[in-house]
Amino acid sequence: MTLPENLFENLRLELRRGCLTLAVLAQLRQEHYGYTLRKALAQHGLEIDESTLYPLLRRLESQGLLVSQWREEEKRNKRFYRLSNDGEFLFVELLHEWRELNKSIHNILERH
Amino acid sequence: MNLLDRYLLSVKKFLPWKRQDDILAELKANLESQLEEKESDLGRPLTAEEMQEWLKHLGPPMVMAARYQPQQYLIGPTIFPMYWWVMRLALLWCLVIYSVVNAVTIVASSPSGAAVFDAVLHAPGILIITAAWVTAVFAAIEYTMARSPEKFPAKAVSQLDWSPGTLPTAEEVGCEGKRPRSHAHAVAEVVFGFLWLIWLLLIPNHPYLLMGPGAVYLRVSPYQLAPVWAQVFWCIVALNVVQLGWRLIDLVRGNWQKSRAVQHMTVKTIGLIATLILFTAPHRVWVLLKHPLTDTARYGANVNSINHAVYAALLWVVAISAMIWLWQIGQFGLDFCRKRVAAKK
Repeated sequence: MTLPENLFENLRLELRRGCLTLAVLAQLRQEHYGYTLRKALAQHGLEIDESTLYPLLRRLESQGLLVSQWREEEKRNKRFYRLSNDGEFLFVELLHEWRELNKSIHNILERH
Repeated sequence: MNLLDRYLLSVKKFLPWKRQDDILAELKANLESQLEEKESDLGRPLTAEEMQEWLKHLGPPMVMAARYQPQQYLIGPTIFPMYWWVMRLALLWCLVIYSVVNAVTIVASSPSGAAVFDAVLHAPGILIITAAWVTAVFAAIEYTMARSPEKFPAKAVSQLDWSPGTLPTAEEVGCEGKRPRSHAHAVAEVVFGFLWLIWLLLIPNHPYLLMGPGAVYLRVSPYQLAPVWAQVFWCIVALNVVQLGWRLIDLVRGNWQKSRAVQHMTVKTIGLIATLILFTAPHRVWVLLKHPLTDTARYGANVNSINHAVYAALLWVVAISAMIWLWQIGQFGLDFCRKRVAAKK
């Protein structure tokens, strides 16, 4: 990988990191377990590696933004996640922030 | 045991032990669902090669497990700038103190190449220990902040109480010296440098120019200066000739506005050499008796006391001068490197 490619990759990951959290919070307004969540996000055009998504769910849960529950489905125990009350509040705030940011970037691009 | 179970077993080894069963059960359920769907799409079980390909895509077990670990820093980005600043300061002062203490100890005991070599050899160890202590202290701060974020919020460090009014001025950070010299200033330096040199050269034959009425006492006293002073005198003359010549050349070439960092360092180096010549006087003798055969009984003890006092004073002068010289040469080297890097850009 050349230096510009490497730099692009780093910046791309940085840009995606915050957006992924927002996308996961948005998707978990409905209950999902890890694999169906990954599929649902992919269907909306957001591919996330297993090694990124599953630990992210754990982290968001430990931060109190998600609640989880073990439940049997199709003869298999699965851990289902959804937004907690704090998560819902924070999601609205983050979404507002993201829209404002998006609007600003759009305005900047429009001027040039 | 299939390949997926082996993969999960390997992941387990690297998971935090308190939560490893829970994490592993969840990961297993997710991966098995994914595998089932893959096999359902294909209408057959995955071949060994396909299975390997899929697991390889998931990433090495250690990397997969590492993502479940809380983000840990020995020293995190919030306090890192402060850590780096303290580290540089601590290493610098450690080096200065170590050098001064060793220089004085070596000179006061028995100066030898082996003693100097030994001191130099031990310096890296001392610096590593200092760096380790600074790192340990900051790692403890980071650990405390991570464990008790409510008591020690990261914001408290990044928004330390400060006021723009307390920022140092350009004079305080030493930028005032960058102002170029005027032509009149450069001419005055040459003229006064020339007069100073003449005055210096007249001193051996006319000591009253330096000592005033005290020159009479020098003539009638039983003491005289050792020959080493003559060597030092000519060293000082050479220093002034070099300085004057350089200034004159700069003036003729029209370069008087340019920085004189190299000149300053050369002059300071010659100055240090002169001090060292004086310090290493043969038999540590700086003052002699004019008539040793007749005056030793009466003034011998005085001469010894004077020489001993001169030695003690010169010891400190040399140690401090050497430290200042090292510091300045370090700064000169740093400036030189900065300019080269800036020029390359």
